[in-house]
Amino acid sequence: MDFAGAYSWPNLSFILQGFGMTLLVAALSILFSFVLGTLLGILRYTRVPLLNPLLAVIIDLIRNLPLLLIIYFIYIVLPQLGLKLPPFGAAIAALTLFEGAMISEIVRGGLTSVDRGQIEAARSSGLGYVQTMRHIILPQALRRMAPPLVSQFISLLKDTSLAIIISLPEIMHNVQILQGHSPNYVIPALIVAALLYFAVNYTLSIIARRLEARKI
Amino acid sequence: MIEFRGVSKAYGSFEVLRDIHLRIEEGEVVVIIGPSGSGKSTLLRCINRLEAISSGELIVNETPLHGKKVDINRFRRDIGIVFQHFNLYPHKKVIDNITLAPVKVLGLSKQEAEERALSYLKRVGIADKAQQYPSQLSGGQQQRVAIARGLAMQPKIMLFDEPTSALDPEMIGEVLDVMRALAHEGMTMVIVTHEMGFAREAADRIVFMDNGQIVEEAAASAFFKEPREERARLFLSRLIKH
Repeated sequence: MDFAGAYSWPNLSFILQGFGMTLLVAALSILFSFVLGTLLGILRYTRVPLLNPLLAVIIDLIRNLPLLLIIYFIYIVLPQLGLKLPPFGAAIAALTLFEGAMISEIVRGGLTSVDRGQIEAARSSGLGYVQTMRHIILPQALRRMAPPLVSQFISLLKDTSLAIIISLPEIMHNVQILQGHSPNYVIPALIVAALLYFAVNYTLSIIARRLEARKI
Repeated sequence: MIEFRGVSKAYGSFEVLRDIHLRIEEGEVVVIIGPSGSGKSTLLRCINRLEAISSGELIVNETPLHGKKVDINRFRRDIGIVFQHFNLYPHKKVIDNITLAPVKVLGLSKQEAEERALSYLKRVGIADKAQQYPSQLSGGQQQRVAIARGLAMQPKIMLFDEPTSALDPEMIGEVLDVMRALAHEGMTMVIVTHEMGFAREAADRIVFMDNGQIVEEAAASAFFKEPREERARLFLSRLIKH
């Protein structure tokens, strides 16, 4: 083991660069998958005829495949069909698709948990479906969804490491490259990676716990 | 103001309402009573189309509800409803519970709506609770907020679906007092309740239902003195025993 060598500034900054990429991909994927998941969740909740069973099948399909496979699929198979994405785009697309499917179920569950009486009260006062969704159902559902959503975001951040398979220069990828420079670097580099992951995810889980404690 | 003409409603083969004929005039206070499962709440909920009817004709505020084209959101502005379980919005303060529909549906300004909300809160006796959340109030207070919420739309008809059934006994009086005052002011009210004392003194007319049918319809005083129908007599005698 060579801690001093591993933690020389060029090496350390290389790991940090990787973590920067991890955070960027995670942040963008969280944003996109949240939008996608909310839309899908609302569509599923609204039970649009024809569309609903179709979405159910697609969501189930995605949820029951390993993320690794989806990343690989988007990176390797889509170019054969004429859609070429760089590792950065492919990773975000795969994470958005996979986590979006997961989040759609969280959203649907949250919406379904809002008491029917709430909807009846709102509709009885002359509010339309969209107004009721916006002012009554969504705000209550979002509060209940917050803790499972944050857990899902934590998973997402960890799952970005799977993009190593398509050589996205995220933190695990860079750690592996350091290992190529010297096998003695691997353990010190892994320790840094672990600390970085832990710091960010632990902060998120504390937020999740706070949200959970704040019941309506 | 409200007219049922041969209205039936069925869930599959189960008939909840059977051939209902009922006319309610402006300013009338009609109390619907009957054993549980007799279709009282369903009948009430047909009036603002929370339940759709299966056959027959139902006309409310000149709007035929059996017709195909009904602007339901427009129609519902004029009908307030108070539920057994209050159904206040837990994520909104009392004042915002009341102003939501006047602002979003009637297009009142926030300030107009708040003034209106406060005046109705004062009428139901809890103006001091405006900035609280529903969970901070007692059941009786919550139900009074629900009544104020309904009134703030200045409806032509108020519906009450067992408004005191979920309340502790000591809170029933405060809700009934508000309803009694409303009845005296001439509001058209249709009320499903088990509070016979209230029905006797506040109602103009009693509708007794059993098995999805209207069994008897009579002026309140006459009904409680001497119901015509055997089933109604049996129902009342059972109530008095307890």
